[in-house]
Amino acid sequence: MNREPKAHLTTGAHDTAEPASLFSNYEVNAAFYDEMFSATGVPREHCKALWEHLGKMSSADIAALQDRTEQSFLHEGITFSVYGDESAQERIIPIDLLPRVLDAGEWGQIEQGLRQRLHALNLFLADIYAKEPAQILSDGIVPADLVYGCPQYRTQMRGLRVPLGIHVFLCGTDLVRTHGGFMVLEDNLRVPSGVSYMLANRRALKTSMRNLFRMHRVCGIEQYGKLLRKTLAEFAPTGVADPCIVLLTPGVYNSAYYEHMFLAREMGVELVQGKDLLVHNGFVYMRTTDGLQRVDVIYRRIDDDYIDPLAFRQDSQLGTPGLFYAYRMGNVAIANAPGTGVADDKSLYAYVPDIIRYYLNEEPLLANVETYLCREPEGLEYTLDNLQDLIVKVVGGSGGYGMLVGPHASADERAAYAAEIRKNPANYVSQPTLNLSCAPCLTDEGAAPRHVDLRPFVLCGQETRLVPGAFCRVALRPGSLVVNSSQGGGGKDLWVLPP
Amino acid sequence: MLSRNAQGLYWISRYLERAQHGCRLLADQLRTLEDRPVEEIDQTWRRLYASLDREPVGGSLESNLDDEDFMLADSYTLADDLTFESSNPDSILNCIATARENARQVRNVISKDMWYCLNVAYLKLSKVGIADIWDDRPGDFYLHAEDTIRTFSGIVDSTVYRDDSWHFIQLGRFVERVQLLAALIEAQLTVFPLTEAHIEPEWRSLLEVCEARGTFSRRYSLEYRPVNVINFLVSDLRLSRSIRYALARIVTALDRVSEKRPAREARRLAGHMAAYIDFDWPGHDLNDTDATRTVLRELRDRSRRVHDNIEITYFGYEIEDTPGT
Repeated sequence: MNREPKAHLTTGAHDTAEPASLFSNYEVNAAFYDEMFSATGVPREHCKALWEHLGKMSSADIAALQDRTEQSFLHEGITFSVYGDESAQERIIPIDLLPRVLDAGEWGQIEQGLRQRLHALNLFLADIYAKEPAQILSDGIVPADLVYGCPQYRTQMRGLRVPLGIHVFLCGTDLVRTHGGFMVLEDNLRVPSGVSYMLANRRALKTSMRNLFRMHRVCGIEQYGKLLRKTLAEFAPTGVADPCIVLLTPGVYNSAYYEHMFLAREMGVELVQGKDLLVHNGFVYMRTTDGLQRVDVIYRRIDDDYIDPLAFRQDSQLGTPGLFYAYRMGNVAIANAPGTGVADDKSLYAYVPDIIRYYLNEEPLLANVETYLCREPEGLEYTLDNLQDLIVKVVGGSGGYGMLVGPHASADERAAYAAEIRKNPANYVSQPTLNLSCAPCLTDEGAAPRHVDLRPFVLCGQETRLVPGAFCRVALRPGSLVVNSSQGGGGKDLWVLPP
Repeated sequence: MLSRNAQGLYWISRYLERAQHGCRLLADQLRTLEDRPVEEIDQTWRRLYASLDREPVGGSLESNLDDEDFMLADSYTLADDLTFESSNPDSILNCIATARENARQVRNVISKDMWYCLNVAYLKLSKVGIADIWDDRPGDFYLHAEDTIRTFSGIVDSTVYRDDSWHFIQLGRFVERVQLLAALIEAQLTVFPLTEAHIEPEWRSLLEVCEARGTFSRRYSLEYRPVNVINFLVSDLRLSRSIRYALARIVTALDRVSEKRPAREARRLAGHMAAYIDFDWPGHDLNDTDATRTVLRELRDRSRRVHDNIEITYFGYEIEDTPGT
C-alpha cells in the first residue's frame, strides 16, 4: 500500500510527461468491498462514466478544487465544534470531492430496509410506552429489564398518546457495506444530525464540479427541507390548520448549531432557544416583538434530559419549564418524542431483527451486525477473550466517544479497557471488526481507498419519506475504521442514480 | 419577529457602528502621527479616549511631552488597546467579533451575504495584531476594516426585507450613532474649549472623523470655525453623521416597528430630542462651552433611555404585559 518509493523512482523524463491521472495509483484491496472498482483498474458498471470523467482530471486539479471548497466552507461557517477542544472551536468537516455512487437497485434495497426498520421501531416504542407490561415484553421477545432498566426509558412517557402514534419522526440510520451486503450499524432515533452536510456536500460538489452534473443523472436531494417541514406539520395538534413550527436548539455552542440554523432556514421556520419559549396555561409561546405567539410543533435538537427542567433534569438551562406539561396536554408536538433513546440503545440493537419479525411478521431486509452483549455472561466472556478482534462500544454512548477498536489498540489499552468492562459489564457491547467498504478519496498521492459508511435520513409522519441521498462519512486516516466527525472523519457526496 | 432575533440584529448594527467609528477615529489619529507636534498628538489621544469613556492604558496621558519617541511608543500601545485588546470590550476587533457572534445567533434570518461578509472579515482581522500593521501604513488596516463595514451596510441595504428586521437594524445603528456623536463632540469641547483660540486642524479632524469635511467646506467655508462645525454635526438634517439625522431615522424606525407593541417612551424621547434641536438649539449660545456640553450630555442620556425602552418593550418584556391565552 505504501506508494512513496514510486514517487522517488520517477525519472526526469517522466517529469515532463502528462500529470498522473487520479486513479493511476489506485489499488483495490480485495479484503474490502470497493464502492467504485470490482478489481484494480476495473470500475463497476454504474461508476464507469464517473471514473472516465474523473480520470481525465489530474490530482492537482482536484486538490486545488478541494482547497477552494474547504475554504468556502470555513467562510460560510459550515462548521461544527468538537467538545473538549478549546483551540479549534469551529472546524469544518473535511469534504472529499470524489462522490460515492449507488445505483437504483442498491438504493431501493436500502430504502425498503429502512422503511421496514423504522416502522417496526415505531411500533415497538408505541408498545412499550402504551401499557405495562408491553406486549413484546410479555411475549418474551425482548428482556423487560433491557427496556425498563435503560436510562433512556422515560417513565414520564408512559401511557401518553403521541401525535399520529409516532415516536420517531426522524431517524438517521448508520449503514455500512461489507462483501456480504449492507448492514445496519446503528439506529439514531434521538436527535440524529448530519443531514445539513449531506446537502452542503452536494451543493459544494455542484459548485466546484459543475460539469459532473451535466453529464451524469443524479437523483436530487434538495427537497429535503420541504419534506421535513411537511412531515413536521403533520404532527400539529388537532384543529391547527397552519401550525407554527419551530426548531429548538441548545444554541451557538452546540456542535451541530450550523445544522440547526441551516434547517430552520431551509424550512423557513424560527430557530428558537429554550429561553425564547414559555408555557402559559398549558400552551407554548415564543417571545416576539409583537408579543407572545403560540407554537404548535417543536422540532427539538435538544436531548430529552434538557427539554424541560420540571419534567427531566432540573439543572437544565437549555429547556423551557412546563414544556412537557403542554406536550402531555396535547397542545404542542415535540419531535422526536422524548424517550425514543430506549430503542437505539446499543444493547437493544441486538434485538431489532426480532422486533421486526414480531410486529411485521417479515424477515428484516437489512442485516444487523453480530453483537455480543456484555450484560450476558457468555457475551462478556466472549468479548474479554477476543478483545483484540472486536470493537467495543459504550451502551449509552454516541459519536464514537469511549469506544475501543480492538485491532488498533495496544495491549495496555486493551487491558485497561477490559478492567472497565468488568466493572460494569452491562454498559458495553462488542461487535466483530467489520471490513467496511472503501471508496476512492483524494490524498496527496492521488485517489486512494478509504473506509466509508452512510447515514440516510428517514422521515415518518402520515407517510414515510426519504430523499435518495445520505451523509456519507469517510475515515480520512488510512486504514482507520472510525468515520465520526468528532474523531477525524470527513464527508463526501453520495449519488443515487435513477433507474 | 422572535425577540432574540430582533435583539441580535439590533446589536449587530450597534457594534458595527461602534467599530466603524473606532476605525475612523484611529485612522484620523494615525494621520496626526505623521506630521503633527506631540502636544497635538497628545490632545487628540485625550479627545479620543474621553469620547470613548475609557481610561488610557497605563493610567493618565500625563506623558512626557518633551520626548517625541516616547509619545510615538505610547501611540502604539494606545492604538493596540483600542484596536485589538481582548480585555477591551469596545476594541475594534471585539466589536466585530461581537457583531459576528450576534450574526451567528440570527444567521437564519439574515441574508447569506450578510453573514459571509462579517464572517470573512472577522476571520481575516482576527489573524493580525498591532505589530503586523504598525510598521507599514497602519492607516490601511483601518480603511480596510471600515470598507468591510461599509460593504456590510450596502448588503444590508440591498438584501434586508423592510419588516421589523430592517427597523431593528436601523434602530441599533442610529441609537449608537447619537451616543457616539454626542460623546465625541462633548470630548472635543472638553479638550479644546471654545474660550481658547481655536486650533483649526483639530476641528477639521473632527469633521474628518464624521465623514463631513468635504461637505462642510462646500456648505460653509474652508475656515473650520468651531461654532459652525458643532452646529453642522448636531443639527443638520441632511448630514448622515449628524445627531439630528440619526434622530430622524430613529423616529421613523420607531413609527414603523411592531405596530402591536409601540415603544411609546422611546418614541417620545426621540421626538423630544429632535424637536429640541429644531426649535431650541438655534437660540443656544454655542460659545458657552459648559452649556453646550450639558446639552450634549443630556442628549446622550436620553438616547440611553431610548435604548432601555426598546430593550424592555421588545427584547426582555415581562409576561404580564402580554395577551393571555
